[in-house]
Amino acid sequence: MRQTQFDPKLIIGGIIISLLIFLVLFQPLLNRAIIGDVNPLTVGIFPIYELPSLRHPLGTDRFGRDVLAVTLLSLRYSLIVGAIAGAISTIIGIIVGFSAGYKGGLIDTLLRGLTDTILVIPSLPILMILSAYVKALNIITMAFILTIFSWPFSARVIRSQVMSIKNASYIDLAKLNYMSDFEIISLEILPNLLPFLGVSFAGSVVGAMLAATGLEVLGLGPSGITTLGMMINFAIGQGALSMGKWNLIFPPIFMLILVFLGVQLVNMGLESTYNPRLRR
Amino acid sequence: MKNLRRVFRYYVVRRLISYFFTIYLAFTLTFFFFRLIPGNPIGAFIVSMQQRYSTGVLQSSEGDIVERYKEMFGLNGSLFTQYIKYVKNLLKGNLGPSLTAFPTPAQKLIIESLPWTIGLLGLSVFISWLIGLIIGVLIGWKRDLLFSKLIAGLAIFFSQIPQYFFAIFLVFVFAYVLFILPSSGAYDAFLRPGFYFKFIASVLKHAILPSLSIILASAAGWIISSRALVISILNEDYLIFAEAKGLKPFTILRNYVMKNVLLPQVTGLAISLGFIMNGAYIVEWVFNYPGIGRLMTNAIGILDFNLIQGITLLSIITVLTANLIIDLILPILDPRVRSGQ
Repeated sequence: MRQTQFDPKLIIGGIIISLLIFLVLFQPLLNRAIIGDVNPLTVGIFPIYELPSLRHPLGTDRFGRDVLAVTLLSLRYSLIVGAIAGAISTIIGIIVGFSAGYKGGLIDTLLRGLTDTILVIPSLPILMILSAYVKALNIITMAFILTIFSWPFSARVIRSQVMSIKNASYIDLAKLNYMSDFEIISLEILPNLLPFLGVSFAGSVVGAMLAATGLEVLGLGPSGITTLGMMINFAIGQGALSMGKWNLIFPPIFMLILVFLGVQLVNMGLESTYNPRLRR
Repeated sequence: MKNLRRVFRYYVVRRLISYFFTIYLAFTLTFFFFRLIPGNPIGAFIVSMQQRYSTGVLQSSEGDIVERYKEMFGLNGSLFTQYIKYVKNLLKGNLGPSLTAFPTPAQKLIIESLPWTIGLLGLSVFISWLIGLIIGVLIGWKRDLLFSKLIAGLAIFFSQIPQYFFAIFLVFVFAYVLFILPSSGAYDAFLRPGFYFKFIASVLKHAILPSLSIILASAAGWIISSRALVISILNEDYLIFAEAKGLKPFTILRNYVMKNVLLPQVTGLAISLGFIMNGAYIVEWVFNYPGIGRLMTNAIGILDFNLIQGITLLSIITVLTANLIIDLILPILDPRVRSGQ
């Protein structure tokens, strides 16, 4: 038997994602190590516009906040928003995708019509309007807004996976054993699709984070917290570009690229590891 | 053959019906969505008018004035009557007055911004497609070279970076560190728009950074897809046969490989061109570029319904038309689709 060859993309992507998860989980500890036991958003604890130094590895901003500490906190919130939105759209995607893929018929037709229509409607303006005019935009409402345009796509890919699996012989066997549709879906199809659902979830998280970052860069982020996109908007608004303050603008951009790249590498790696036709 | 033509005609009619139906559906959905937004754009507008021309007259009959303006913007009556009225005006080619530059009609503002967006995005999309196609085919053809692997890896990296990150990076380096290119606008403010050398040079100079940020981000995607298309046909029998016949590699590349890559990539190009009205909102925002994206961002800021609705409708129609054209032309170009395989 041949051993499964892991694609180097999978390994690099896995390392990036593990690193990010580490940063998010240990953010409180890291925060204490960098600036002590204070909220990184507290204004005026350090001198303003300090250049990077040993004490402040990424310098401070115009409110005297440590940029590294703020970046780590923002990463945490950005990933939380993305994860909530990704989870909601995957759950809706599972419900709709399974009923459309397994049962077909009306739900299937409706789903296809809906995804085709939504694909055509320019999503960013609609998301901008929603985030600009929803009262009390917080992490949860933001996540729900982002879900509006992402769930149909989760539903669509999950549907196609269900379609491809539902005619397998072990499903026929289950039907012969008088299992109900619900039993077949939850005991036979769902477990087999778990790895795929994981990938689909990661894709939704990245999609939601991309959309969220676009909104936040335009200044339409949730209130009361900080996210990576809001850091970018804040830095541009404060003229960091024209003052040459690279340390204010590039840390959040770097973190976001790491997130997008990590997930993409894992996706590509998984595909070429488990789809031997691509590996030549 | 006659039968085939009938099938094709049936297909065209069905495709046209679905084209108009999808436009109608997407338009209606967005119309009701926009009208349901809580917000009082007319109130805000009147307050700003009052501040500008502060007279006692306005305050005394305020209710009247609000009603008149609502009438003018098509915001009075029930949602359904608003809808009917909007569609009636739309069929006459009138999108209603804009709030952004009252009383200029929305369609006039859109037409003024259109050339900038089409010029910037249309050209950038085409250039990145061309670059991506050439590089992608070459590194797919010679995929075992270290250089090809390096480019492929770099393309994967670049493809994950949103356009506006490149925009921010390029502005930082070229406008604020090196001081060699302008950071915002579409031309120098002291020039009058017209067809003379100085103005055109200024337009081109201002377009370099925004278009470069779009090209850097999207060329990577085209490189990846062209490379994958080439690799997928490298082991086909007809290529091995052509090689065995002793054809020169360049001839094989041009006559056998390119033919297979070009068709899907041209389709992809047309679809991306269809999306240009939806693209680059944030790039335009970063560069303060006077295109459709900036117009929309401003319109959303003050809830200018007529302008928002007009731009949305334009995007919807552009995307769907590009898809329609592809679906109608593809059967003529591709023998496989034509014979129904």
